[in-house]
Amino acid sequence: MADTPADKRSRNEHIKEASRQLRGTIAEGLAAQATAAISEDDQQLVKFHGTYLQDNRDVRGERAKKKLEKAFSFMLRVRIPGGVVTPAQWLVLDRIAGDYANGTLRVTTRQTFQFHGVIKSNMRRTMQAINASLLDTLAACGDVNRNVLATSNPHVSPAHAEALVLARRLSEHLLPRTGAYHEIWLDGEKVTDSSAVAGEGEEPIYGARYLPRKFKTVVAVPPDNDVDIFAQDLGYIAIVEAGKVVGWNVTVGGGMGMTHGEPDTFPRTADVLGFCLPEQAVDIAEKILTVQRDWGNRENRKRARLKYTIEDRGLDAFRAEVEARLGYKLSQQRPFRFARTGDSLGWTKGTKARWHLGLFVENGRIADRPGHTLRTALREIAGMHRGEMICTANQNVIIADVTAAAKRRIDAILRTNGVEIATTSGLRRNSMACVALPTCGLALAESERYLPSLVTRLEEVLAQVGLTDEDIVIRMTGCPNGCARPYLAEIGLVGRGPDTYNLYLGAAFDGSRLSKLYAQDVREGEIIALLTPLFARFAAERLEGERFGEFVIRAGTVEATPNGREFHDKVRLAVA
Amino acid sequence: MAFIPSSAPFSAADINALNTVVARSSPEQRAWLSGYLAGLAAASTQPQVTAPPAPRTRVPLTILYASESGNSESLALAAKKAAAKQGFEARVVDMADADIATLTKARHLLVYAATWGEGDPPQRAADFYASLMAPDAPRLDGVRFAVLALGDTAYQKFCATGRQIDERLAELGATRAADRIDLDLDFAKAADEWTAGTLASLKPEDDTTSATVVHVDFNHGIGPKEETAPSFTAEKPFEAEIVGLVNLSGTGSTRETWHVELATEAPGFTYQPGDAAGVIAENDPELVASLVDAVGAPPDNALLQHLTHAADITTLSRPLIEKYAKLTGRNDVASIVADAAAFQAFTAERQLIDLFTSYPERLDAKQLMGLLRPLPPRLYSVASSPAAHAGETHLLVGAVRWQSHGRDRKGVVSTLVADRRRAGETLKVYIRPNRHFRLPTDPQRPIIMIGAGTGIAPYRSFVAEREALGSKGPSWLIFGERNFSFDFLYQLEWQEYLKSGALSRIDVAFSRDQPEKIYVQQRLWQHRNEVRRWIADGAHLYVCGDEKGMARDVEEMLARILAEPRAGDADGGRVELKALAKAGRYQRDVY
Ligand code: SRM
Ligand SMILES: Cc1cc2nc3c(=O)[nH]c(=O)nc-3n(C[C@H](O)[C@H](O)[C@H](O)COP(=O)(O)OP(=O)(O)OC[C@H]3O[C@@H](n4cnc5c(N)ncnc54)[C@H](O)[C@@H]3O)c2cc1C
Ligand SMILES: Cc1cc2nc3c(=O)[nH]c(=O)nc-3n(C[C@H](O)[C@H](O)[C@H](O)COP(=O)(O)O)c2cc1C
Ligand code: SF4
Repeated sequence: MADTPADKRSRNEHIKEASRQLRGTIAEGLAAQATAAISEDDQQLVKFHGTYLQDNRDVRGERAKKKLEKAFSFMLRVRIPGGVVTPAQWLVLDRIAGDYANGTLRVTTRQTFQFHGVIKSNMRRTMQAINASLLDTLAACGDVNRNVLATSNPHVSPAHAEALVLARRLSEHLLPRTGAYHEIWLDGEKVTDSSAVAGEGEEPIYGARYLPRKFKTVVAVPPDNDVDIFAQDLGYIAIVEAGKVVGWNVTVGGGMGMTHGEPDTFPRTADVLGFCLPEQAVDIAEKILTVQRDWGNRENRKRARLKYTIEDRGLDAFRAEVEARLGYKLSQQRPFRFARTGDSLGWTKGTKARWHLGLFVENGRIADRPGHTLRTALREIAGMHRGEMICTANQNVIIADVTAAAKRRIDAILRTNGVEIATTSGLRRNSMACVALPTCGLALAESERYLPSLVTRLEEVLAQVGLTDEDIVIRMTGCPNGCARPYLAEIGLVGRGPDTYNLYLGAAFDGSRLSKLYAQDVREGEIIALLTPLFARFAAERLEGERFGEFVIRAGTVEATPNGREFHDKVRLAVA
Repeated sequence: MAFIPSSAPFSAADINALNTVVARSSPEQRAWLSGYLAGLAAASTQPQVTAPPAPRTRVPLTILYASESGNSESLALAAKKAAAKQGFEARVVDMADADIATLTKARHLLVYAATWGEGDPPQRAADFYASLMAPDAPRLDGVRFAVLALGDTAYQKFCATGRQIDERLAELGATRAADRIDLDLDFAKAADEWTAGTLASLKPEDDTTSATVVHVDFNHGIGPKEETAPSFTAEKPFEAEIVGLVNLSGTGSTRETWHVELATEAPGFTYQPGDAAGVIAENDPELVASLVDAVGAPPDNALLQHLTHAADITTLSRPLIEKYAKLTGRNDVASIVADAAAFQAFTAERQLIDLFTSYPERLDAKQLMGLLRPLPPRLYSVASSPAAHAGETHLLVGAVRWQSHGRDRKGVVSTLVADRRRAGETLKVYIRPNRHFRLPTDPQRPIIMIGAGTGIAPYRSFVAEREALGSKGPSWLIFGERNFSFDFLYQLEWQEYLKSGALSRIDVAFSRDQPEKIYVQQRLWQHRNEVRRWIADGAHLYVCGDEKGMARDVEEMLARILAEPRAGDADGGRVELKALAKAGRYQRDVY
């Protein structure tokens, strides 16, 4: 594994190397008062600290005319392995949303919260408030192992509880060790001066350059694939015998992101690498991560994810290298079966007479809107709740571990705040949209702000053919990066330009198969015109228990996509 | 030694020559010469100029003024010219530079005093005012005086400072030579007349004490005309094309702050950084219509024109309510002005229209116009630099809007700019110089510019000017507003100035970006060591913007900062600040 020569390494690689373990000039940048921005290099570095510099794209056009710079603010992403927070933590996060952010909390597709709209002058105190609640944002973004997901709700079974424990251990073990985070955000004063060189041994796992690209890890407990394990770099599938986790199937090389017009970029479903024992799981993660650290592409960030490393080197070579570093071989994978990617919504009764509420949060945005004061409702619940509150990877929230008495009070709180538990359609409760405009700098089209109204129109169509209650997974993103995992949705919409989307169909309901491009550059009218006859045929012709994603393949609407390599193949475009 | 003053009606060369001759002459020779020349003039057949009394008979006159925004000052200077013509040996003294002994030595005294704040003296005059009011003030027997008070009937304590000075001088034994006059914003013509009359009567004694409020229409009033009179005034403004008009407050802001660029390339239209521009007011035609409707007057064109351009149709002042009571004979209206509490209760957040709708009576055009005072212009600190923005005058206008008693209210001039003018149209403007808000003459001097909201305007002028002139002095801007993202006025320009070095440092305080409020004075305190260091290095301090909302707190804070090294002796801090003010190193442009 020859090292990539310096003149070939991408710009980000040089920034990381020169950053003195992610320090850069962030502290100086925070102090500069005439701008709400930080330097371009520091913008890359703060990601590792869990935050992005963004600007409000809705107002970009007017700013220069008003002699104002772009309306910069930061997005902060909390690190919450498994998505589990205490009600006390919830209250802190809620207060931060009001005090420093845009008044909303955003549950992400990776089981955590984002804050939007935090301006630079409030960054330190926001970070400190998060930290005071015993949470942090370290490594929530950047070329490191990100927030680790676990199948939601540790109370469902002992295996679920073990999944959470593993997620937390993986997250801790793979955290960067740099002192930069504490120095810059928490201690404030103790920032080392820019000329000092950080200690050699500061990052034993990552080294000075960290990973070539982001790295995402999840833990799943079948039959639930709510964490969309095949979209992740590294995954663990619980193998349960007699109620106990006897070990994990390890998956590698999943990912969503691609670039329009660049066919050597593609979404890819992960492969199963093998089976490991519970005590081996963390060590295996470290070795997989270091192979990617050393093998991953450091020239071209568009092909730097683990999925391309595995595509390019082959799964067997990759396995061999991991096993060489482990000093032992992985066992043969064990059988498993996933049923679905969605959450259990509504009240379910668990063990010990405890209840759990899966609460649908449209696109994860927890806000107060007239007649629907969800943020208030959840704050009030957090104020009385003694169990846990959990973000799901489907942008929903679970109120877990509720007594029967508390359940009645929670129902009352939701009612007074206009939050209904069970009235959404099968399409809406399986819908997800990424953030996109106005904060996401990469968005080509609307997503979060648009999908709800499109779903409303599609609901009318579905109602006409009696499919209102049918679970159909629909996901939208504002660009091909795939943050809401649209290529694993039965109906995927990916932004191409203002009001224009590519339409993908035919992914598996259980998240194991990618979709296929069905129509290019379509607008709302065309989307509806294309889906209307398909819904009608599905209603009329479907086999017993057949999912929409299977039907469109059986009906010949699109070809199946067996793996990422073939994502761009055999596309037959429909015309509306 | 110069015998012939440089102001004598001779060329400089002739003055020089005369001085040479007179200087070496003996007293006898000089007496002969004056007698000879006088005799010669008397014998001359040419029409005789009303000769000023011979120098020896000139009456010494002290003209004292208390001014914040320069009106009293310009009246005092005009008075000096008039006095000279009438044979006075007049000297003009700013209360800021005066001590109480100035009064004991005076024999004839004219006072021009403005009222500020809520019935307070102008800031620079505060010390003098305090010592005049102090129990140990010296007796002033033998001093003959007269007071002209400037104010604004929109304020409760109309002309309070002038009134108090007038009373106090009499109390201290001085003799009133003429009745005090209290003038509203339309003071120009009445002030001239009063000055002329008072000068004439300064010799004969006069003991009446009542004062009258006189209104004179602006547009017909004639200001003091001198060689140095500005080319454009409130009475004769320049009609400037608006070449740029943009609301600088970003979408989402709670503010509305308009940057106005005016083309003012015209001979005689000059200004310096620190000056203000007067903008001729024009009322909202909708408000004019509802007012006419409220009193049921026939809406003929002359009336509408008058109400739109010439009359103050918003201010609800005591004199106006008195007049309305008299005109309508209504006791309920009269009772509003009968006691202070009732007046306060009714006028709070109300305007003229509310008087008409609360106490409706039919008025004809003449009655309506008779109630109203002339429409005063509004001042705006110039935000451009003659060196950097040649031919243009920029203003920064905060739109004033609020709601009260169920009505949407709009500031007359600020919403004229915001709502009723487009680029390509015009505004009538003139320059109101402010020699008390000036860049240091030494370009190397450090400056600290403290301001909030539209108070940033003159600093744009300062920094642009210093950059254009290549001044190297360090400059520090401390700016406050509500939200960083929307209200950082001229942000991109400050960034450029920081890059070019024209601005050395900036600190910002945005009050609404976090749960607790942060204001400029807190930034001053936070950086007090540097503030003191800059002052020690000779920095000039400037404060601009809202008086009540900012300037007072800043002043307190500056005193505290200066006091800190003296173990917190707050008075010591204040004394030091006053010394800075006296030295012209602490200047304010507040409103
Ligand atoms: C918030 C979130 C979407 C949401 O609606 O929930 C999100 C939002 C963003 N993603 Fe993502 N991604 C989010 C999950 C994902 C996922 C889903 C997942 O991981 O299960 C994916 C696809 C899986 C994958 O990684 O392949 C994903 C693939 C990307 C990519 C493409 C990566 C690639 O390898 O091609 C980018 C762009 C990049 O990295 O260059 C990106 C970048 C971004 C950024 C940070 C845009 C940027 O780089 O400037 C977005 C911030 C928008 C905003 O204003 O908040 N995001 N992003 C999700 C936050 C997850 C978290 O809490 O960590
Ligand atoms: C020396 C000087 C410099 C100035 N420089 C500037 C400058 O650079 N930029 C700038 O914008 N202004 C500046 N001003 C203020 C400016 O002259 C005007 O006073 C201001 O624009 C308001 O004028 P207007 O005609 O719009 O409002 P007006 O019609 O005069 O109304 C203002 C009056 O309305 C009332 N009012 C306002 N708000 C409320 C409220 N919320 N509730 C109840 N009553 C209220 C108050 O009585 C106030 O006096 C300066 C003033 C001075 C004296
Ligand atoms: C902030 C402010 C406060 C004022 N307060 C009063 C007041 O309380 N009473 C009054 O009669 N005039 C008041 N005035 C009006 C001034 O006295 C008037 O504008 C005067 O012409 C200013 O004279 P100067 O330029 O010499 O300072 C105030 C003006 C301003 C801008
Ligand atoms: S998918 Fe694209 S538009 Fe949506 S949040 Fe991710 S990067 Fe932004």
